[in-house]
Amino acid sequence: MSVSEIVFQAGNATNGSGAANATNASAAGGGQTFPEILSGLLGLGPNPDPGLQFLFAVVGATLIAVLFLTIAAVGGIWGKRKITAAFTDRIAVNRVGPFGLLIIVADAVRLLSKEVIIPDSVDRPAFDIAPMVLPFSALLGFAVIPLGSGLQLADPETGFVFVFAASSLASLGLLMSGYSSNNKYSFLGGLRALAQNLAYEIPLVVTGASVVLFTGTLKLSEVVAVQSQPLLTLGGLTIPSWFAFVNPFAFVLFLIANLAEVGRNPFDTPEAPGELVAGYMTEYSGAYFVLLYLGEFLHIFLGGAIIATLFLGGPAGPVLPGLVWMVIKILAVYLFTQWMRSAMPRVRIDQMIEIGWKGLLVMSFANLVLTAILVGVIA
Amino acid sequence: MSLERPTDRTDTVGVTEEGLDYDALADLLGDRVVSREQHHHTEAFTIRPDEVQDVLFALRDQAGFDHCSNVTAQEYENRFETIYHLKKYADPTQELSVVVPTSKDNPVSESAEPVYRTADWHEREAYDLVGIQYEGHPDMRRILLPETWKGHPMGLDYNQEKPQIVTLEAHANPLEDDEHDAGADTMYLNIGPHHPATHGVLHIETVLDGEQVAHVEPDIGYLHRCEEQMAQQGTYRHEIMPYPDRWDYVSAGILNEWAYARTAEELTDLDVPDYAQVIRTMSAELCRIAAHMLAVGTFALDVYGEFTATFMYAFRDREVVENILEDLTGQRLMFNYLRLGGVAWDLPEPREAFFEKIRDFLDGLPHKLDEYHDLLTSNEIFQLRCANTGVLDAETAKQYGATGPVARASGVDYDIRRDDPYGYYPELDWDVVTAEEGDNYARVLCRLQEVEESARIIDQCVDLLEDWPEDDREIQSNVPRTLRPDDDAEIYRAVEGAKGELGIYIRSDGTDKPARFKIRSPAFSNLQTLPELAVGEYVPDLIASLASLDIVLGEVDR
Repeated sequence: MSVSEIVFQAGNATNGSGAANATNASAAGGGQTFPEILSGLLGLGPNPDPGLQFLFAVVGATLIAVLFLTIAAVGGIWGKRKITAAFTDRIAVNRVGPFGLLIIVADAVRLLSKEVIIPDSVDRPAFDIAPMVLPFSALLGFAVIPLGSGLQLADPETGFVFVFAASSLASLGLLMSGYSSNNKYSFLGGLRALAQNLAYEIPLVVTGASVVLFTGTLKLSEVVAVQSQPLLTLGGLTIPSWFAFVNPFAFVLFLIANLAEVGRNPFDTPEAPGELVAGYMTEYSGAYFVLLYLGEFLHIFLGGAIIATLFLGGPAGPVLPGLVWMVIKILAVYLFTQWMRSAMPRVRIDQMIEIGWKGLLVMSFANLVLTAILVGVIA
Repeated sequence: MSLERPTDRTDTVGVTEEGLDYDALADLLGDRVVSREQHHHTEAFTIRPDEVQDVLFALRDQAGFDHCSNVTAQEYENRFETIYHLKKYADPTQELSVVVPTSKDNPVSESAEPVYRTADWHEREAYDLVGIQYEGHPDMRRILLPETWKGHPMGLDYNQEKPQIVTLEAHANPLEDDEHDAGADTMYLNIGPHHPATHGVLHIETVLDGEQVAHVEPDIGYLHRCEEQMAQQGTYRHEIMPYPDRWDYVSAGILNEWAYARTAEELTDLDVPDYAQVIRTMSAELCRIAAHMLAVGTFALDVYGEFTATFMYAFRDREVVENILEDLTGQRLMFNYLRLGGVAWDLPEPREAFFEKIRDFLDGLPHKLDEYHDLLTSNEIFQLRCANTGVLDAETAKQYGATGPVARASGVDYDIRRDDPYGYYPELDWDVVTAEEGDNYARVLCRLQEVEESARIIDQCVDLLEDWPEDDREIQSNVPRTLRPDDDAEIYRAVEGAKGELGIYIRSDGTDKPARFKIRSPAFSNLQTLPELAVGEYVPDLIASLASLDIVLGEVDR
């Protein structure tokens, strides 16, 4: 298989036979969303009454939220320490439970039992809403991601747009928390976060759009389906046409822009411990802090999920079920962010804006135009 | 970059082949010199308090005294006295003390700030602790003690017993005269005293214009522990030596102890056996490695973020040094290992195992330093962040009395180990590391290279110690049980501490305790350069510049 055939696939998709491709892809859950599968299993047909549909959707949403909150708890509390420790020659938690795993329980209890301190003259509704906006915007994004094993809540025609729109809502949360905290460090952090997200969201979406040029659809299940085609066969080993292989340049661009989007080194300027104390999080404590902290990890996972969906074939993978592969890919991206965090210096805010507007933006448009020409010429 | 002293000696007044010609200097100043007296190692010219600037300008511009090393203030029964300890960066053995007595009822002296910028903080400290006023000083207020403090604690009539209760309400609100008025676009920001990047309890009053720094004012004194007063209450022989460990407390202890040892030994005319000098040299350089590792590690912390590998690597390697020092001294930070006339005890037995441990460390060090260069100095983002930020040029560095790696990274080739030799340094083969750029990057690079040089010194010391004949291992010379230096003897001596020139001034009064004990802290002078480094830069560079100065608040505040 070659690029031309993928493009041919893409052409198919635009011609309306994309659905056929989607059904070919077993990993994508057969093109059915989770509520549809659920109602099918219960013998209610694909279109039960709206009340039941809503109920199934809530069940699915709960499942996904619980799944990712669990991963955030394990990855954020325990995994983060272990990974960072491995990178920095330490041992990390090993006393509470096997491999120190019970530290998750201990930490959860500790964090939640702390007092929520509301400083004087904070901007009350905004200060309270911001910690909710952050994690919920990330969870919202998961609604349209095909997580494999049939776990996809909805599969709208505009899934691609929706997922970026949802994840961008986080900027609002960051700005709200920074602006309402009545603290200059938070204020600076919030402004930095906004400036950074503005500078990196555009390259992120534009780079993502180059994938859409290949697939010809914004529907994420079809983006995944297109990637399940083999790219080339090397001595019995079939390499699928994941867009990370088809267009590595876009993949790297996206990975870098995503680092900035989730605020990890070398782009962790909004938090910038050492400069801004904790940036927009400075004034938060107790449960509010937990929400912000969780939200940060959920965003990294959402970033990982988007990368997996657009570039790494979504839930596709041998032997293991799709959902497991999806989680593995998400955690791989998470591992990458932690690695950067241990090894990379933080760029200065002005340098970062410069890299975003003058570097990544230009390159992402160049990538888009080149991809468009390539697709246009070959198709 | 060599052991040879720079030979650039222009036609400055008083410089002769045999050393400094004080008569020529006195001729230069004419009748402005009221009297001359002899201190250890130098002469002191007494001048009138209203001619300070005239005299110092003449000495700086015509006699080449470009380094105001220290300013000591003290109170006698009948007068106040300010002593400016002048040196030359090109040759610190050429010293001159300028004594400015002022009367008791009107302790006002002309400020030296227009001549030497470094006098700014030194004179504020003198005002704060002793109570001398400096006319023409740009900012005459307390520096170490709170603004609301009553009295001057090192004055003779100060009541030590009277409690000083300063309630929170009585403190001035730092926001009260905020430079932020309705029309201005600037923002006042308190960095510290509780802030992750201040390396202790330092408060930096900052005015920001957007993300850029418009004004910086370090506010120190949060860790002031009256180290000078405490030393004045201890006897020379044993009771003062533990204090220096607590100045630069991040494992530079033996370097600090040596500052006291050198001063007190020369004051009381004690010899130190060669064997002890070698041990001192070796252990001091181990301390320097530990201190520089910490400096580089915390710098990485401030530039990278809190989860950086470099920080942990630095601590891992520092730990090895700490273990060696623990074997030697029994302590990991507060060594108290040096004694007047030598060291406390010989190397630990079995000696071979001890040498083996040091050699293992030295053998592994080049590889570890490569790791730092991989992670830090050759990282492009790191270069982007650190090169050309926080630039300190050589002239400004000299004006502020900057010393140590901070000065050397700005191209000031000044290292007391070479220029005013002590210990066993002159016998060993090593280089002084300098750089020209004077930016944050150069300061980090200098420290990393100084670690290499220290390793070279230690290596040679271990060689020497291994072959030292067993019956010649004299660790202490014969020291009288009670040391009583001559009445009214004055001395100012310095060593190369981890952060730069660590000097001590002692005036004896014939008893077994010093009458005045003044510490010249390198970090105190280096920190003064912060506004020069940071104004106009971005907030992250302010933090990086502060980290690159490598201050330890225990030494700044004393």
